[in-house]
Amino acid sequence: MIRFNNVTKVYGNDTVALERVNLEINAGEFVFLVGASGSGKSTMVRLILKEMEPSAGSIYVNGTKLSSVPRRRIPRLRRDIGCVFQDFKLLPNKTAAENVAYAMEVTGQRRRTIRTKVPQILDLVGLSGKMGKYPEQLSGGEQQRVSIARAFVSQPPILVADEPTGNLDPNTSVGIMQLLHRINRIGTTVLVATHDREMVDVMRKRVVALEDGRIVRDKVRGAYADEV
Amino acid sequence: MRFNFWFFLVEALKNVRLNLLMSITAVTTTFICILVFGLGLLVSAHIQGVIGSVRQDVSVEAFMPNASSDQLDALAQKVRGWPEVAKVTEVSQEQAFAEFKDKFKDQPDLYRDLDQSVFPPSVQIQLKDPSEANDVAEKLKQEGFTEDNLSYPQQTIDRLNSVTSYVIWGLYGATLLFLIASVLLISNAIRLSIFARRKEIEVMKLVGASDSFVRTPFVFEGLLQGLVGAGLAAFAVVWINYLFVDWAHNDLPYVPISSDAVNAPFVLVVLVAVGVGIGVIGSFLSVTRFLRKI
Repeated sequence: MIRFNNVTKVYGNDTVALERVNLEINAGEFVFLVGASGSGKSTMVRLILKEMEPSAGSIYVNGTKLSSVPRRRIPRLRRDIGCVFQDFKLLPNKTAAENVAYAMEVTGQRRRTIRTKVPQILDLVGLSGKMGKYPEQLSGGEQQRVSIARAFVSQPPILVADEPTGNLDPNTSVGIMQLLHRINRIGTTVLVATHDREMVDVMRKRVVALEDGRIVRDKVRGAYADEV
Repeated sequence: MRFNFWFFLVEALKNVRLNLLMSITAVTTTFICILVFGLGLLVSAHIQGVIGSVRQDVSVEAFMPNASSDQLDALAQKVRGWPEVAKVTEVSQEQAFAEFKDKFKDQPDLYRDLDQSVFPPSVQIQLKDPSEANDVAEKLKQEGFTEDNLSYPQQTIDRLNSVTSYVIWGLYGATLLFLIASVLLISNAIRLSIFARRKEIEVMKLVGASDSFVRTPFVFEGLLQGLVGAGLAAFAVVWINYLFVDWAHNDLPYVPISSDAVNAPFVLVVLVAVGVGIGVIGSFLSVTRFLRKI
């Protein structure tokens, strides 16, 4: 589903963010990408979204080699990848429902479909009572639920989350992780970049650990740190 | 992808509301630009109208200073034989002076000290068809008349053109400058509104919005600004034209200014179309430039 082939990413001033990373994530997997700040997690997420190009190596998403996707086809690529960010990235002058609807409008879906689908998905993330609220009227956890609803509303095969609980308190984080877990159980491949140690340990999923741009550990039912 | 008109329109209206001040600036510039452009159209249309009515004039006058009445008769006789000519009248010095006195009877100062000898005798020729005036003038020149001794409509037209062409070119120059200014201002207004919303646009792109999907509301915004500015200006121009024609009829009865010279619906359509064009081009350029950067 997602494959990194010897991927190296060097930022302008000789900063090596990723060094010869090889990683294969299969369909339906739930994978944690862990590591300290600056270890290269976000770089991997941004590469998957083709926000930038790798310096060397190739990346395949959903069977497509990203370097062969022309600029104008990027929107189509991103519609196959739901994404969730630490800072939620909601549109501030749209309500929760409108934010979710926007992701559907982007793909030109029928208004009838949007009108039935949006309440369903907001209900699924537990926000059915807050459809008309603007992001600033919602708590961090609620905003993250909206953003997950938006990422998932078109049922993309892949969902990528970059520090989804980074701005949330532990109790709220549990709810968000459960939501991601449920989405994974429906068959969506989920990749979560995080340094939320507790969360990773509780979930017992595949853990890929990054350190200074290199994969140092890849365990099928792992924890944040090596079990001694 | 389906083109959802109402979605884009509503998005554009929200943008306008959020950037009201910049929108007003853009609308005002467009208004001024289209107003100047429209006035240029008006002036040139009226000049064309006057030229057209002068062209309908069927008289050619041939002046014969110091000629005897026999010479006058001889010319009149000859000209009567030309096929283009409908009617020939001989005007003696006395008659010319009398006509002048009659024309300016309200201002006797003009002719009190005048001697009738300053009025040359002339032959006045009425043509069957105004389009033949130049040919007849040409024939008279072959008879020995110079440009100064003849009076025919083309002379008036040439004189009108030489004066008014400067005015018209000046107006076109001003229009061009204002056109550029309003494209820049509209694109600047849009650019500011994009800058204020660049985070949003990045989010839109992350969610999978294509460039055109992001661009369309902005282009609608520019279109609306152009439409409002140009619409107001177009109505102002038509109204100014109405006032002008009304004033000319009362105060300049000798100048053949007619309300038919300006085709009001045509002017409206042209002006609004140009304004909308400015808005669309201005916004399209600035959004496209921004989208290339991210």
